Amino acid sequence: MRGTLGFLAHRLLRALIALWLVSTVVFVVMRLSGDPVPLLLPPDAPRSEIFRVRAELGLDRPLPVQYATFLANVLRGDFGRSIHFREPAARVVLDYLPATLELGLAAFAFAVVVAVPIGVLSAARRNSLLDHAAMGVALVGQAAPTFFLGILFILLLSLKAGLLPTGGRGDWHHLVLPALTLGIFAMASIARLTRSAVLEVLRADFIRTARAKGLSERLVVVKHTLKNAAIPVLTITGLQFGTLLGGAVVTETVFAWPGMGRLAIQSIYNRDYPVVQCAVFLSAVVFIVINFVVDLLYGLLDPRVRRA
Amino acid sequence: MVQVTRRHLLKGAAAAGAVAALPGPLVREAHAQTTQKRELVVAQGGDISKFDPHFSTSSNDIRVSFNLFDNLTSRRPDGRLYPGLATEWKREGQTIWTFKLRPGVRWHSGDAFTSADVKFSLERTWDPAQKTRVNTVFTTIDRIEAPDATNVVIHSKKPDPLLPARLAFYGGQIVPKKYLEAVGNDAFNARPVGTGPVRFVSWKKDDKVVLEANPDYWGGRIDADRVIFRSVPETAPRIAALLKGEVDVITQLSPDHGERVAGTGSTQVVGALYAGLYVLAVNSKRPPLDNPLVKQALSLAVDRELIVKELWRGRGIVPSGPIAKGDNHYDPALPPLAYNPREARERLRKAGYKNEEIVIETTVGYTANDKPMSEAIQGMWREAGVNAKVEVVEYSVRAQKNRDRSFKGLWWSDPTSTLGDPDGMMWRLLGPGGPQDYWRHPRFDELGEAARFSVDEKFRAEAYREMTKVFLEHFPWIPVIQPYEDYGLQKYVEWTPNPNQQFEIRRFNFKFRRA
Repeated sequence: MRGTLGFLAHRLLRALIALWLVSTVVFVVMRLSGDPVPLLLPPDAPRSEIFRVRAELGLDRPLPVQYATFLANVLRGDFGRSIHFREPAARVVLDYLPATLELGLAAFAFAVVVAVPIGVLSAARRNSLLDHAAMGVALVGQAAPTFFLGILFILLLSLKAGLLPTGGRGDWHHLVLPALTLGIFAMASIARLTRSAVLEVLRADFIRTARAKGLSERLVVVKHTLKNAAIPVLTITGLQFGTLLGGAVVTETVFAWPGMGRLAIQSIYNRDYPVVQCAVFLSAVVFIVINFVVDLLYGLLDPRVRRA
Repeated sequence: MVQVTRRHLLKGAAAAGAVAALPGPLVREAHAQTTQKRELVVAQGGDISKFDPHFSTSSNDIRVSFNLFDNLTSRRPDGRLYPGLATEWKREGQTIWTFKLRPGVRWHSGDAFTSADVKFSLERTWDPAQKTRVNTVFTTIDRIEAPDATNVVIHSKKPDPLLPARLAFYGGQIVPKKYLEAVGNDAFNARPVGTGPVRFVSWKKDDKVVLEANPDYWGGRIDADRVIFRSVPETAPRIAALLKGEVDVITQLSPDHGERVAGTGSTQVVGALYAGLYVLAVNSKRPPLDNPLVKQALSLAVDRELIVKELWRGRGIVPSGPIAKGDNHYDPALPPLAYNPREARERLRKAGYKNEEIVIETTVGYTANDKPMSEAIQGMWREAGVNAKVEVVEYSVRAQKNRDRSFKGLWWSDPTSTLGDPDGMMWRLLGPGGPQDYWRHPRFDELGEAARFSVDEKFRAEAYREMTKVFLEHFPWIPVIQPYEDYGLQKYVEWTPNPNQQFEIRRFNFKFRRA
C-alpha cells in the first residue's frame, strides 16, 4: 500500500514540475515572439496610442514582474484576460475544449478500434496478402500529411460523392471526415506497433510451450499473446493520444472545426499571450493525465511494474 | 484596414490548386439557378473577434458589424454617399455640419433611436476611458450638439469637407446609448443591439455567427430570414463548400480559383474593383532609394500588364498614380504607369546606381499574390540591372516593422481608400507622422495639409493634381495593381459587393433569385 502511495506522490510531484516548466517555457517563448499591440490597432495608430494599449495590457512592466504575476495568478486558476476576445482566457479556452475532445476521442476510438485487430491479424497471418495490404496502407497513412489527406477526403467523399459535409461542426455527419483524417496517422502507427509487438511475443518461449502442449493457434494468440503484447501497444497508444491533440491543429483548420488547436494557432498569430498560455497549460494537463493513466494500466497488466 | 485575415488567403493555395485541377464532370453540380432558401450562408476566411464596432477594424469583423449597425451616412457599392441614419446633412459655415436624423427608427431592443445615441456613439470613439480601437477616426471633430431628438450639429476644429465620408466608415457605426449604459461594454459585445438589417441570435466562436432579419428595418426587410457567417480558414474547403452548395457566398476568392468557380453551372464570380491599391511602399530614407531617379527606374522596370495578366488572370487594372480609380479626383486622362526597361537602365545609369542591394520584404498571403508578385518583380528588376532581393517575413514581423518604420527597402502595402478621397488614402498614410512617413517633400506636404482642410473642391482638385505630379517624380510608393475583390456566389444569389470591403446585405444590393 505504501508503495502505491509513494508511487502516486512521486508521479504528482513530477506532474507539477512538468506543468511549471511548460508554463514557463510558453511564457518566455510568447514574449520572445513579439508584441501583440501592433496587431490590435489600425496601421495608422499613433505611437502614443501604442504606449497606452501596452500599459493597459500590463506589457510595459518589467518581464520578471509580469512572470511573477503570471505564476501567482495561475496558482489561483486565473489565466488573465484574452487580449483578442477581451474575456477571461480560461473561459475562451474552455469554450473550445469540448469540440477538440469530441474530435480527439472520435479519432482515437476509430484509430484503436481499427488498428489493434489489424495489427493482431497481420501478425498472426504474417506475410499473407492481408498482412502486406494492411501494412502498405498503414505506411501510406503514416506518410501522408494530414493537410493533404483532409483536402483529398473533402474532394472525394464530400464534393464528388456528396456523402458528407465539407466542414463545420454539427451532427455526427460532420464528425466523420475530420475524425478519419485525424485518426489515420495514429491508426497507422498503432497498427504497425501492435503487429511487431505481437510478433515479438509469438517468438517467445512460453508461446512455443503453449503450442507444444497442443493449444489451438487461436487460443495461443488470444489468450497468451495479447496480454503480453499489450504493454508496448498501450504506451504508443497513450503517446498517440497526445499527438492527436497536436495534430488536431491542422485537421481543425482544414475542416473549419471550432477546436482548441485552431484557437491556439490563431492566438499565437494574434500574440494573445493569455489564451496561448492557458491552452498549452490545459493540453499539458491532459497529456500528463493520460500518461498517468497509462502508468496505472501498466501496473494492472504487469505486476513487475508495481514492485519496481 | 486589412488585418490578420488576409494571411489566410493564399495559405494552402497548393492544395487548393487540386480543386481547380479536378475535371469538371467529377463534381456533382446542382445547377440551381433559383432557390426557395430563406437563409443566406456566408463563409469567410476567419472568425470575428468582436461585435462591438468600436473595438475592431479587422475585415472579418466589419463584414458582420456593418450589418448589425448603421452609420449616419452610407457608402453604397457605386462608391457614392447615401442617407443612412441621417436623411440629410448640410455644411453651415466653415466648421459646422448639421444632420437631420431618420424618424421612427428603433433599436433591435425596441427602444427609439435618437440624437442622444449619435452624440454618445461618436464621443465614445475618442473617450479615453472607453479605450476603443477607432479613437483616431474623428480627430477633426471639436464637439457635438443634440438640440432635439432628430437633429445633430457637429462642430469641427477646422473646415472638414470629408466629415460625411468619415461617418460612413468604421468608427462611425451608431450604438445604443441607453442599452450600453445599462449593461456595459462586455455584455453589449456578447449581445449586440443595433439598428441594422439583421439582429443578433447567437455566436459559436470559430464556427458560426447566426443573425436574423430585422422585420422593421428602415431600409426594408432583407430577402432572407437568417444570415449566417461561417468561418472556413482554408481556401480549398471554402471553395468545396460553395461548389457543394453548403454555403451561398464565399469571400476572398483569389484569381486562380475564380475560373473554377465561374466554370460550373451553379456558381459565379462577382467582384468589385478594390477601393485602394496594392503598392510596394518604399523606405525612401535608405540609399539608394533616397534617389528619385532610382525609384523612377524601379517603377519603369515593372511590367504591370504581365502581372495583371499572368498572376491575376486579368482581375485588376494598372494604376496611373497614387489615386485609386473610383475615388474623388482620380484623373482618367492620366496614362497607366509605363513599362520601359531600357529607360529604366538609362535612369539607373544617370542616378549613378552602384549595384547596391534593393530588398523587397514580402509576406506570404497577407495580401493576395504578394510573394508571387515579389518574385516576378525581382526578376524584372534584375533584368533591368537592379540587384534585387526578396526576403520573406512573417505577418507579425511585418506589423512590428510597420510600427517601428524599420523596413529595409520595399514592402507590400494595400492602402484602402477609407473616404473615397485621396485624403483618406495617400495623405492618411504618406503624410507627416503617418504610418508610412519615410519621405518628405515641402510642396507635397503643404498641398496635402491645405486640401485636408479646404471646402473648396476646385482647390482640392488642383492640389491633388499637383501632388500626383510630385508623387510620380519621387515614388514614395510604387503602385503595382488595383485588383478586383472577388467573391464566389451561388447563381441564385444576386448581390453587389462594396469596393471598400464593407460587406453589406441590404435590400438595395441583395436578393435570392426565386423560381
